[in-house]
Amino acid sequence: MAFLSIENLNAFYGKAQALHDVSLSCEKGEIIAVIGANGAGKSTLLDSIMGLTKTTGTISFDGTPLNGGPAAAVERGIGYGPERFNLFPYMSVYDNLMVGAFTARNDIEKNLAAVFRLFPRLEERQAQETSTQSGGERQMVSLGRALMTSPRLLIVDEPTIGLAPKVCTEIAAALRRLRDDMGLTILITEQNANFAMTLAERLYVLEAGAVRATGTVDELRDDPRLLEAYFGH
Amino acid sequence: MNIRWYHFALWAAFMAVMFALPEFVSRGTLRTVIFANFLAIFAISWDVLSGRTGYISFGHPFLIGIGAYTTAILTKRFDVAIEASIPIAVIVTMIAGFIVFLPALRIKGSYFALVTLAFMELMYQLVQVIRPDLTGGTRGISGIQGITRGAVNGYYLSLTLLLVVAVTVWLVMRTRVGTALSAIGMNEESVRGSGLDTTKLKLFAFLFSALIAGLGGAFYAHYVGAIAPRALFDINFLFTIIVAALIGGAATTAGPIIGAFFLTFLLEYLRPYLPGAERYFIYGGVALLLYMYQPKGIIALLETMKDRIIRRSST
Repeated sequence: MAFLSIENLNAFYGKAQALHDVSLSCEKGEIIAVIGANGAGKSTLLDSIMGLTKTTGTISFDGTPLNGGPAAAVERGIGYGPERFNLFPYMSVYDNLMVGAFTARNDIEKNLAAVFRLFPRLEERQAQETSTQSGGERQMVSLGRALMTSPRLLIVDEPTIGLAPKVCTEIAAALRRLRDDMGLTILITEQNANFAMTLAERLYVLEAGAVRATGTVDELRDDPRLLEAYFGH
Repeated sequence: MNIRWYHFALWAAFMAVMFALPEFVSRGTLRTVIFANFLAIFAISWDVLSGRTGYISFGHPFLIGIGAYTTAILTKRFDVAIEASIPIAVIVTMIAGFIVFLPALRIKGSYFALVTLAFMELMYQLVQVIRPDLTGGTRGISGIQGITRGAVNGYYLSLTLLLVVAVTVWLVMRTRVGTALSAIGMNEESVRGSGLDTTKLKLFAFLFSALIAGLGGAFYAHYVGAIAPRALFDINFLFTIIVAALIGGAATTAGPIIGAFFLTFLLEYLRPYLPGAERYFIYGGVALLLYMYQPKGIIALLETMKDRIIRRSST
């Protein structure tokens, strides 16, 4: 069974259905990207994995069903970097990271050292309020907070949103290091298809809450369904 | 958040000054300070819940009143010793805190604030009509047994209570629980996404806040010796608590203390010039100006001044 396995997932906001029979799998050590335009259901998919939305269908992680909400998901080893970083703006970098450390309290020192090795800039600026940081630094704090939970699977919602190309390269390098050096499995969502294609091994194309195409980067590079999902033609 | 040596030095200096105060000021001033101490306790209690978690309570006098009425009824009507009545009052207030917490499971923002206001209004009406033989009805309860005699003893008692409350809150807020409570106030969904049980954290904040409110309310009742629904479940009392916390600096421990002293002395010194309710216009205006200039309160102004002094002395 895949490390993360999603079968026939439907997600709802009240009466509105945001995901329709989404199936997805992710092997241990893979980097997977879910790409799609605004409103495709990318954030809803990640929220569903974390147990933050009302869903039907099955989500299994490391061989057993995932249920019990975000606390159980984090406890099982899923770290979440939400869309637009979702930090605590009037708290320092250090305190933002400590919120992530709540569940993995025995690994605080080890995880903090790993975060600072990955993003040395955060160590220099750990007393700074995150409201005064740049977009790139905030993304680093967001990833760092997710890493403080001692994850085995890292899910990140649009890691490059609003970031300059140079910072996107830094973020991609950091995510690759997390997989290569720490053995993390990574699932990201992206609107930036180029970024997703340079980072991920496999892609899922999401449109209007349903999976329209899936395959390796090479298989999907010239796939008309990818263009259709983005441009509608 | 790291605790540094100067944090303890500041607390020690504050305690030393406060404990020496009766040697230097009149009995009248001391009585004003006692009210400032109690207002500081109530403002800290409000801040633990609303300043940190962002769940704005408009019904805090509801909790304070329950603490005050419980101990007053137990000692006055049932001859229960104060040593027992105060802990019982605190427990009853915490149960009331749990009741206030229940709406927070489903609603937040202005809706939650209005529900808490309804709790206060409901209590105001209930104590007047239900068992007036116990509550004293509209007149309230007078002749409540005191714990101390004289302004100096009353001062030391209120000061000790304030220090115990303030240092306890300060220490708790420096743990990861305190950090998580502040994080809830900024982005509750993100706290959930980090795997924290926000329901348990909020319950802790409500019960901790109620504990302080009950403790303060009970001691206040024994200090003033008389309580009445119009004075306790009063909108002016509510706003004085909230303004004290905000004007001093919400989501800090020292802020509500600074705000309480600032407000109490401002109102007291305005009394000879404006003996009526006009004083509240002045304090409203001062609060508005301060809030517009520095929304983080007096404590942020003091921190800016401290930074400027350090910068000047280092150049």
